[in-house]
Amino acid sequence: MRIETIQGSRCPACGLTVAPPAPFCPRDPVAMTSVELEGAGEIVSFTTLHSPPAGFRSPLHLALVALPGGARFICHGAETRGLRIGSRVAIEAVNDVYYFSHLGALDRARLFWRRTGRAGDRVHAIARSLAKRAWKGRERVSS
Amino acid sequence: MREVWIAGAGITRIGRRGESLSDLMAEAAHAALRDAGLERPDAIVAAAMNPEEFVGDGNFASHVATHMGLAETPAMRIETATSSGAAALYAGFAQVAAGLRHRVLVVGGEKMTHLDTPRVSELIGRSIDPYERSYGATMPALAGLVARALIARNGDAPREMAQIAVKNHANALRNPYAHFHRSVTIDEVMDSRMVADPLRLLHCCPISDGAAAVVLTAERAAVRITGIGQGTDTLALRHRDALTSFRASRAAARAAFAMADFGPERVDVAELHDAFAPFELISLEDLGLVPSGKAGRATLDGETALDGRLPVNPSGGLKARGHPLAATGLAQIVECVWQLTGRAEGRQVPARVALAQSIGGLATNNWVTLLEAS
Repeated sequence: MRIETIQGSRCPACGLTVAPPAPFCPRDPVAMTSVELEGAGEIVSFTTLHSPPAGFRSPLHLALVALPGGARFICHGAETRGLRIGSRVAIEAVNDVYYFSHLGALDRARLFWRRTGRAGDRVHAIARSLAKRAWKGRERVSS
Repeated sequence: MREVWIAGAGITRIGRRGESLSDLMAEAAHAALRDAGLERPDAIVAAAMNPEEFVGDGNFASHVATHMGLAETPAMRIETATSSGAAALYAGFAQVAAGLRHRVLVVGGEKMTHLDTPRVSELIGRSIDPYERSYGATMPALAGLVARALIARNGDAPREMAQIAVKNHANALRNPYAHFHRSVTIDEVMDSRMVADPLRLLHCCPISDGAAAVVLTAERAAVRITGIGQGTDTLALRHRDALTSFRASRAAARAAFAMADFGPERVDVAELHDAFAPFELISLEDLGLVPSGKAGRATLDGETALDGRLPVNPSGGLKARGHPLAATGLAQIVECVWQLTGRAEGRQVPARVALAQSIGGLATNNWVTLLEAS
């Protein structure tokens, strides 16, 4: 599985990260700096439009995804079956249009190993992840 | 700052109207002037969100002033998307408060029903961030994202959202100016056609034509504007970290209550911007009218019904009175004035202080106005 890199911007004043890039921070009158974001994250919310605007096929699935680093990203999806707020998704560009897809258990494990790097860190990260999971229980991304 | 009073109020019947936009605005304006016993105001502030595209008219302040027989009265147009009427009220208020004008006519209107729904949705959607729009985001789509987040926070939200529609349709039955005169049940709302999952057709306001107007004056009258506040937020929904609370509403309320020098506990009746049913729940909490997390419960318990502790949207709200965009912010003020002066026939509630909240765009430019009976 290939993880897309998404271009974004970060505000040097307040730290707000946005994607796609923007010249100025929406909340501070300062120029933003470029950042690269990993195209995988958590569903913040999603909807399905049953009468989408002209030029879009019905039903149109739209999701707001929280990327690592804090940016929220809007994208399309092929389906929303089984999707919940907090679900892990990967983001993929097809002809410059971004789509989310639900990550299966295997995909999540691969992503996890790729991200955690060195062996020592891996053990540490696994422990942290398990602890976090136990702590969070069924709680979802707050919005 | 001089005190600013409302000397007259007027509104057209809201709904599918055959008249032109300028006819509707003249009807509301003349009704407000008549109510104030005034032939000519010193100035006019007009609000229309997008007359250029909805009806093809530009230079709109002059257009509408001339049409209503006030070509020689200085006029300007104000626009903050769907809250334009409330913004126009502020502009008129500022002129009177500053002593620049003595009597100002504020009039807002929109004409939409002659266009088909996709075209109306496209024109309203122009107020959405262009990148989000490029993904097909419409107002219902963004409200759908908000509604799902609300439901994730509170499993009872689907029933609570449906109850908003039920209550506001019931109120509109008593308002002869309202777009809809039919009641709906919780089951009808929850079984209505899905628009932007989980948002259904009966959670959404209709497409309406109409106009509303008030006359502001520096002379003592029956109702005083005690506070007006504006609050803003990012154009893009993705640039915000909260979906179930609107910064623009919280900031507007803070500013309005600070100007009025009292708190939400003094509010007896409120007109809120329920373009989508979940917005009434969110706004109740954003404005401090009910404690955080309690809006749904208060709604299901009848606290916001006509005979409740705090009647909300006695006019029927955007949901059932209708939402002719730039008319709405002023239609709310007209209802508040009538409630405060005992003229809300058939739906009168006991009230000395009224609150009106208007949302511009997807809560990017919101207004809160506080009115008090003298």
